Amino acid sequence: MAVLEVKNIRKSFGKTNVLKGVSFSLEKGQVLAIIGSSGSGKTTLLRCLNFLETPDVGEIWVDGKLLRSGSEKLSEQQVRENRLHFGLVFQNFNLFPQYNVLKNVMLAPQLLKKGTAKELEERAKQLLDQVGLSEKLDSYPYQLSGGQQQRVAIARALALSPQVLCFDEPTSALDPELTGEVLRVIRGLKNADSTMTVVTHEMEFARSVADVVMYMADGVIEEIGTPEQVFGNPQSEKTKAFLRGAHEKF
Amino acid sequence: MFVQVTNALLEGFWESLKVFGLTLLFSIPLGLVICFGSMSKWAPLDFLSKSKDSFFEKFKPIQWLCKGLVWVVRGTPLMLQLIVIFYGPGLMFDLPLLPRFTATIVAFSLNYACYFSEIYRGGIESIATGQYEAGQVLGMTKTQIFFKVVLLQVVKRIMAPMSNEIITLVKDTSLARIISVYEIIWAGESFIKKGLIWPLFYTGAFYLIFNGLLTILFARLEKKLSYFRG
Repeated sequence: MAVLEVKNIRKSFGKTNVLKGVSFSLEKGQVLAIIGSSGSGKTTLLRCLNFLETPDVGEIWVDGKLLRSGSEKLSEQQVRENRLHFGLVFQNFNLFPQYNVLKNVMLAPQLLKKGTAKELEERAKQLLDQVGLSEKLDSYPYQLSGGQQQRVAIARALALSPQVLCFDEPTSALDPELTGEVLRVIRGLKNADSTMTVVTHEMEFARSVADVVMYMADGVIEEIGTPEQVFGNPQSEKTKAFLRGAHEKF
Repeated sequence: MFVQVTNALLEGFWESLKVFGLTLLFSIPLGLVICFGSMSKWAPLDFLSKSKDSFFEKFKPIQWLCKGLVWVVRGTPLMLQLIVIFYGPGLMFDLPLLPRFTATIVAFSLNYACYFSEIYRGGIESIATGQYEAGQVLGMTKTQIFFKVVLLQVVKRIMAPMSNEIITLVKDTSLARIISVYEIIWAGESFIKKGLIWPLFYTGAFYLIFNGLLTILFARLEKKLSYFRG
């Protein structure tokens, strides 16, 4: 059964239709890569999943549970509960500057009373070990490189054990030489059977890690399929043009 | 003579410090209330609005009230506010006068709260939305986000403008004598009748030393908060 099911999401800001009916589903442990040029609605889609935007129309289901039904008003409490099915890693990391690495990871589970301080600390250390930062527990975000900060952000998102972990262009704010370490961590998560949705411009990464690749253009899914299908044998003219452009860039 | 003058001035300065301390005590939290008020988006008649930009949508009574208050308080002299708060209720509504000292604290607290509220607002609005969103996607409540994520970053950013205002407050306490509240300038001036002008000049030393101590205190606080950036 699908972990995530998205049905006919529509969203407009004023007169701009950003999402014009997006539907897809994702099996447990699958990685979905969303590609497309800027303004195609990729990020808005992720933000809808994470309840940072309210879609005008559409449904979001996780594990057979309806979390969002159109623009129906949910209580703050409900929104908080529902969005915890998802995790989000931001393009700009958005770590909390006044807390050290360990506390950045522990803060939310602590506030949500997910366990005793000791348990949470153990769990946070284990996660930071997983992203290769067990040496940096006491460092503050400004003392870390962008790649390290992003890995802390991944550990922070994992600390709440979301069913679907979303990444919004996780390497776009990084120097080219730092993207590798972040992509390796994401690859490692795939091996650990996490369900993930990654908005990315890294075509090679999408091709090698994703189970499903979705190309978005003008607020619709222009093409969706396995990496072999989308990259190897694209059907739509738009996809072909986009991939040619993306290829030329490198 | 010098000892006698010093003692008299110390007594006066103690009154100045009372105004200073109590004003801070009330205006720092009151400023936060006014700040939240001027950022309030509560539009009770929004449901009546039929189009974007209609009056009902823009009708935000709490925000209007707070912004109006800040406008009036910042737009008029503190000296005038002291006079209005002390004499106003009696002259306009035949109410009993507030005690002089109380009226002073009310006027000062309100005045400084309005300035503080604008400093707070600047600080809060300067925090990147990403910080709020990070808290949100981690399931935190609005209150948790404010107190656990945003507040300390705001405090760090407003340290410099706040120390400015607080140092100004030390000197502004001398305005209280317009409604006959005893303080150090008055204490110094009273020696003129006895033919001594230097005690009045000497009062400056008290302000200087106290503000010097405050400056050291603020520098320490800023240093304490320098362990992080952002």
